[in-house]
Order: sequence, then structure tokens, then C-alpha cells
Amino acid sequence: MTEIERQQYDVVVIGAGGAGLRAAIEARLQGKKVAIISKSLFGKAHTVMAEGGAAAAMGNVNSNDNWMVHFRDTMRGGKFLNNWRMAELHAKEAPDRVWELEAWGALFDRTKDGKISQRNFGGHEYPRLAHVGDRTGLELIRTTQQKIVALQQEDHRDHGDYEARIKVWAETTVTRLLKNGEQICGAFAYVRETGKFVVFEAPAVILATGGIGKTFKVTSNSWEYTGDGHALAMLAGGTLLNMEFVQFHPTGMVWPPSVKGLLVTESVRGDRGVLKNSDGKRFMFDYIPDVFKDKYATTEEEGDRWYDDPDHNLRPPELLPRDEVARAINSEVKAGRGTPHGGVYLTVVDRMPGGAAEIVKRLPSMHHQFKELADVDITKEPMEVGPTCHYVMGGVEVDADTAAAIVPGLFAVGECSGGMHGSNRLGGNSLTDLLVFGRRAGLGACEYIESLGADLPSVPDAEVEAAAAEALAPLEREGGENPYTVHHELQQMMNDLVGIIRKEEELALALEALEKLRERVSNVSVAPVAASGGRGYHPGWHLALDLRNMLLVSECIARAALERQESRGGHTRDDYPAMSAEWRKVNLICRLSGDGGVSLKHQPMEPMRADLIELFENDELKKYLTADELPEETK
Amino acid sequence: MADLITLRVTRYRPENDTEPTTQDYEIPLRKEWAVLDGLNHIKDHLDGTLSYRWSCRMGICGSCGMTVNGEPRLTCATFLEDCAPGPIRVEPLRNFPVIRDLVVEIGDFMRKLPQVKPWVIREEEASIDSEYLQTPAELDQYKQFSMCINCMLCYSACPVYALDKDFLGPAAIALAQRYNLDSRDQGSAERMDVLSAAEGIWSCTFVGECTTACPKGVDPAGAIQRYKFTAAMESLKAFLLPRGTR
Repeated sequence: MTEIERQQYDVVVIGAGGAGLRAAIEARLQGKKVAIISKSLFGKAHTVMAEGGAAAAMGNVNSNDNWMVHFRDTMRGGKFLNNWRMAELHAKEAPDRVWELEAWGALFDRTKDGKISQRNFGGHEYPRLAHVGDRTGLELIRTTQQKIVALQQEDHRDHGDYEARIKVWAETTVTRLLKNGEQICGAFAYVRETGKFVVFEAPAVILATGGIGKTFKVTSNSWEYTGDGHALAMLAGGTLLNMEFVQFHPTGMVWPPSVKGLLVTESVRGDRGVLKNSDGKRFMFDYIPDVFKDKYATTEEEGDRWYDDPDHNLRPPELLPRDEVARAINSEVKAGRGTPHGGVYLTVVDRMPGGAAEIVKRLPSMHHQFKELADVDITKEPMEVGPTCHYVMGGVEVDADTAAAIVPGLFAVGECSGGMHGSNRLGGNSLTDLLVFGRRAGLGACEYIESLGADLPSVPDAEVEAAAAEALAPLEREGGENPYTVHHELQQMMNDLVGIIRKEEELALALEALEKLRERVSNVSVAPVAASGGRGYHPGWHLALDLRNMLLVSECIARAALERQESRGGHTRDDYPAMSAEWRKVNLICRLSGDGGVSLKHQPMEPMRADLIELFENDELKKYLTADELPEETK
Repeated sequence: MADLITLRVTRYRPENDTEPTTQDYEIPLRKEWAVLDGLNHIKDHLDGTLSYRWSCRMGICGSCGMTVNGEPRLTCATFLEDCAPGPIRVEPLRNFPVIRDLVVEIGDFMRKLPQVKPWVIREEEASIDSEYLQTPAELDQYKQFSMCINCMLCYSACPVYALDKDFLGPAAIALAQRYNLDSRDQGSAERMDVLSAAEGIWSCTFVGECTTACPKGVDPAGAIQRYKFTAAMESLKAFLLPRGTR
């Protein structure tokens, strides 16, 4: 058998984005020995692409804000399908996590009196997003990255070794979680540079791998987002929750083709940007759904007044939650009122009091991005935008308080976990999600390890051998298909059949197509990059292994999308256009079936705690809940 | 039939090659394609073994730095058309060891970073149920130096680093200044030794190539010049003033 390196840790964190780094910091602060395994280089994780900000009810800009308002907004945004306990913890703890980050040195834009400034965003009642320009994610990563480096200096002082208690395994990819009986006992990985295998022996593994965007053709996500954590959890016996909910961000670049899907931050709309169709009409006023009537302006004049006097005016409908805006854009384009490249117009021209200079100051990265990549000057011309696959709300089913999955020793946090955002995530909630639950996952993993005492699971040889054989298979197979071809077909199919608007026939076709793709994925082959089986930095081999993960999550999305016969948040069924209170009570749970496919079951939603229900007006509850679920006095 | 352009790509497979070689690939010359799109086209359609780093496609992750026609560039922000008629030479970043093809080893930078203590240093730790106050004017003092995406273009461009690998280098010094100039920080004295050492700011001959190469307008050369003044003032003070008043 191939030579395999072995490493021992207390906690292995897979993923080095905001969630993974925050989890690792917590486990290290609790005195555990931690490995951070990162598919890309340290500091390059997908979190750096987050632009808008981190939502936390600090009340720095509008003192009416508090955790209860934030909780309500999050539940509304998710159309009440959220794990309400997660939404509660998130709303309560987000301010502490932002302040903590600030104390660690994060830079934020400031109010005149020197507090952390907060900006408006879709679905948030008050200005709530702590931000720095439009590169907040980068600042979050730099700060947590440098916090880790600072902790490593302490470890060097105390133990003589920088990596004594926290080591970053950059450009290393996990292909399997390892189990001893029912328990997690480690992870199997390859190092990209050499292609060599490493077995990480650890009683606790935290998945923080992010999303699944690369299963779709048009996406804002980068190459890392292949659903690794989702698939690893399933393969280890875990369950995925509500995978049908995929967020298509309403404003991705639609032109030029090389950058199609790249994100145009929601801050553009938070900072007075408006959407127009090819007739020059601000069409969003035609798309305010019933559940949000009376919460949004009905005239352009009122909407525009809101930016300066939010206490006495309703906000413009451009700031509806993302799912609403994405569907509206889709409808306008379908109705023939789209732009030449199949999007709609988003413009800030003549919208800011400070003119062009203010646009450049408030949206520096956007100004740069459009100038550089599309040769469009956003101070003079409108942007062309359309929906792009951006985020998956569905993910590993976890305990709200500890981030524990159903498999003992397995934890999941951030985008790869499910529940927090319900059927649709509000912008700004993901960065604080990473911090709040990153910390909780770190704590949860430490408590779990304590509970094991000296009784730590060993790694069975058979597990390692099976993982190694699986990883080598594409190199040993001959004459199989090119992984890139299979990947492109999967992406195109998902875009065409499981995209933003879905219907039964197409979803059934998608499942048939996936069946065939599954066979092809198990038959891809790649040639070594160099003599004697060389697999160092072998992009084709990496993709061949990632395909298994993308295929599994695609099947979960398609199956759950076919099952859920309603439209809600990030799941829109052409054949079931209404939201159903009965379906709100249902969580769809995917797990691996015996034949390597996906099985699906209904699981009842736990009723919301009474003190949380009381935070809502009864008239609003009636829009979401069945008559049985309403508080007594409303019935 | 679309126009074609040649990418002349440096290949290096340590198991097979003693020296890097070049390989030509004909790719479509599309108006909207960046060099990175060309490389992705090669990987997806022509040669699945070509190795290089990339991630975000939007100039924020800093992964895709390479030497394009002799200049250090982010390949996601360098358009084929601007390099026409070709062949376009795509080489790994200079001044770093090459791992394979276009992938370089940047461990040296990662080891240098901690030396400048890139975190807020306080005499007393803050409590987390509050925030430090910092006015927009105080923020403007250091904001520019916080824009660094660790893309390594400045090290690749730096003629001093090319000759002396011990030189702390542009991005690390700019990062030190990011914290020195942060009103929340009280650690500039702790950073002084490493910055003022022979391998620190005084190695810089102020060629300014780093600032030219920087895709984010960080201006490392400006940071270094400014710190030279600070350091000179400090040593002058040390020379002229009795200890207590420093």
C-alpha cells in the first residue's frame, strides 16, 4: 500500500474560511491541539469575496435596533423555515462577535463619533451591517488569520514550536471522514503539492467547507465550492437538511461571459442603487408580495425619502429579500424587458448626493470591478445584472447550541450547515453566522472530547485502505471519461433543470440525468501529471475526486426540490407558486441510501418557543403558520 | 472562426524536468477574456495537467499572480487583448521557488509576516462588550495599507528582494505600518527593532517597483519611505533626549 503519513490532533477543522478559523481559534483557546485543513492557501478562502458586511444589532446607527428586531428579520427572510433557536442565538450573539473581531484589530468604517458604522441591506429593518467599504469578508479573514498567527507566537514561547497547538495544512483536501463504529475518528486527505496522503487521527472533526456553487453553471462561487462538507457528512452517516433551498443572488454580472455570475454586492442597492427594466421602469414596485405589503414603499418618492428619513418612510422594494428580487428580475427578462445581455439594469448614476465621487468612495470595489472587467464606468452608466447561484441554505443537520451533527464527533458550521437561514438567507447574516457558530462549534467539539475522557477512538486500517483506494481510482482507471467534460454537463444540467424556477417534469428529468451522470462520474480517469504516477498539483485528479461530492449534493437538491410542492424562499416551483403553511412544518432530510444514492424523508419542524412567537404580531403569523399553530388568542 | 492567440506557458514538472520548459497553446482571442480565462480554457479543453493557482476571478483573493510578458500581474485582471498579438508569455512569479508549472512557494513571506506583529497590540486587553472608538479621520491614516491581498506581486517586482531574500519586503512593511498608524494600536515600539534592522526598511533603495505592481493601490514604497522618516526621528530623539522624555 502507498505510504501514508499520520498526524494526531484533538480537533480537525476542515475549511479555513471565517467559520473554520473562528472554530479553530475557540478550540485552541480551550487548550486543544487543532489542525486547520484548507483546500486553498491560508487567507484565500471564499469568505474574502463577501462584500457587504456583518449583520449585528449593535444599534450604532439606529438605536431602535436590538436582537429581537434582528431575529424577526431573519425569520421573515427565511420565511419561517429557519431553525429558530439558531436564529435566536445568532441575533443575540452577533454583536459580541463583531466587537470581539474589532478588539482583535479588524478595521471597520466608522460613524462620525467613531463607532462602528452600520449600513442598510435587504430585509434588515435598520442599518445593521458592520462593514469596511465592500471588502468586509477580506477583513474578517485577515483578522482571524492574524489572530491565529498571534496565538502561534504564544505557542512558540510556551512550547518552542509555532505549530505546537494550531497548524494550518494549506492546499490540503479531505476526501473521507474516518469512523470507528459509530464515532468519528479522523479524516483522510491529500496534500495538493505532492499528492501524498495524510491520515488525521482526531476524535472531533468540524466541517466548515462552505457551499456548493460549482454544481451550477452560473455562480458567484469559486472552484473550492464543490459541496465537500455536505458530501463528507453524508458519506459518514450524517444528514442534510432542506437542500432544495439554494440562493440565487439577484445581482450577478451578466456580461462579459468570462465573469458571468460574479457578484454585484447588495450594498449597491443599500446605497441608493435602483433596478430598471429596458423600458426604464423601476419594476420592483410591481413585485411586492403580500407578506411584505405595508413594509415597503409603494411610490418612488417615498422609497427615495427613506434613505434620509427611515423613521418616517417605508423602504424601497429594491431592498426586498434576495429571493423576491431574483424572481422579479427573472420575470422581467422572461417578459422581454431585459437588457441586451439578458439581465436588467442596476444604476447608481445621479443617485448619490455627492455625485460620482461619492459612488467611488462608497462602492470602491464595484467601481473597480466594472471598470476593469466590463469596461463600464458605474458613475456614468448602468450595470447589467441577473441572478447567479450564490449560497446554499440547506446543509448538514446540526444541534443549534453545539453545531453537533447526528454522527458523534462530527460538527458543521457556516454555509455547509443547515437551518440558520431557513429558506432564504439575508445578506450580512452569513458573516456573523460564521463567527457565532464558529465559536460554538469550537466549544461543542471541546465539550465532546471532554465527555470521551481517555476513551478515544482509534483509526481502523480498513477505513484508511478504503479511502486510499477510492482516491487513487481515477489515476488507475484507464480510458475513462475526462472529468472536465462530466463537470460541464453536470453544471449545465443543474442550471437548466434545477435552477431558479423549477417544475416537476424538469426535476424528474434532472434525476434521470443524475442517474446517468453517476455512472459516468464513477468512470472518469486522469493521466498522471508526471512519470511514475505523479499526482502533485494535479488539477484533473482533484476535479475527479470533487465530482463525487458535487454529484451527491446535486442529487439532494433535485430530490428535495421535487418533493417540496410549494414555493418558498430559494425554492420556486412554477407548478406550485404559493407558499403553504402545511409545508412550513416539514423539514426534508436527505441521507445516503444503501445503493450510494440519496434517500429522503419528512421530519416535522419543532414548534417555535412561546416567548419567541410573542415577538411577532398575530397578523403576521397568520401569513406563515397554520391555524393550529397560532397562539390561543388569535384563533 | 474566432481569432486565436498563443499563450507561451512555462511548464516545470520536478519529477521529469531538470529545467523549466515552455509550451505553446493556441486559444481563442476573445475581447472579454483575461489571461486566467485562457489558462482555464487550456486546463478544461487542451491539457488537464497544467497547474496554477486561482480562486475568486475578481481580484480580491490574490491567488493568481503570475509573470505576464515580463510583468508581475494578477491574471484575472490582465486581458488577452491588451497583450495582443502574442505570443503571450506566462511564467511563474519571479523571486520565488517554483513548485510546479506556474505554482510558486510563498512560505518565505508567510514566515516573515509574524515578525512585524500584524495584530493590534494593547497594553491592556479590551473587554469585548464594547468597541474602541476611531474617527473616520483616524481610519484614513492607515486604511490604504490594509488593502493588501497578499498576492506577492510586490515581492516579485522588488529588485532588492531578488538579491537579498532576507529583506523583509514591501507587503510585510506596509502591513507593519497598517498597525503602527492604527489609533487603537500601542505596539509601534515593539515593531521598531525588526523594521529598523538591516533587513528592514533600510534595505529598500526606493525603486518603487512594488507600488507600480500593486493591484490594490497599497503603495508599499510610500509606507517604507514614511517609516524611514519615523525611524530616523526616533534615533535622533534617542541621541538627543535624556531617556525619560522619549
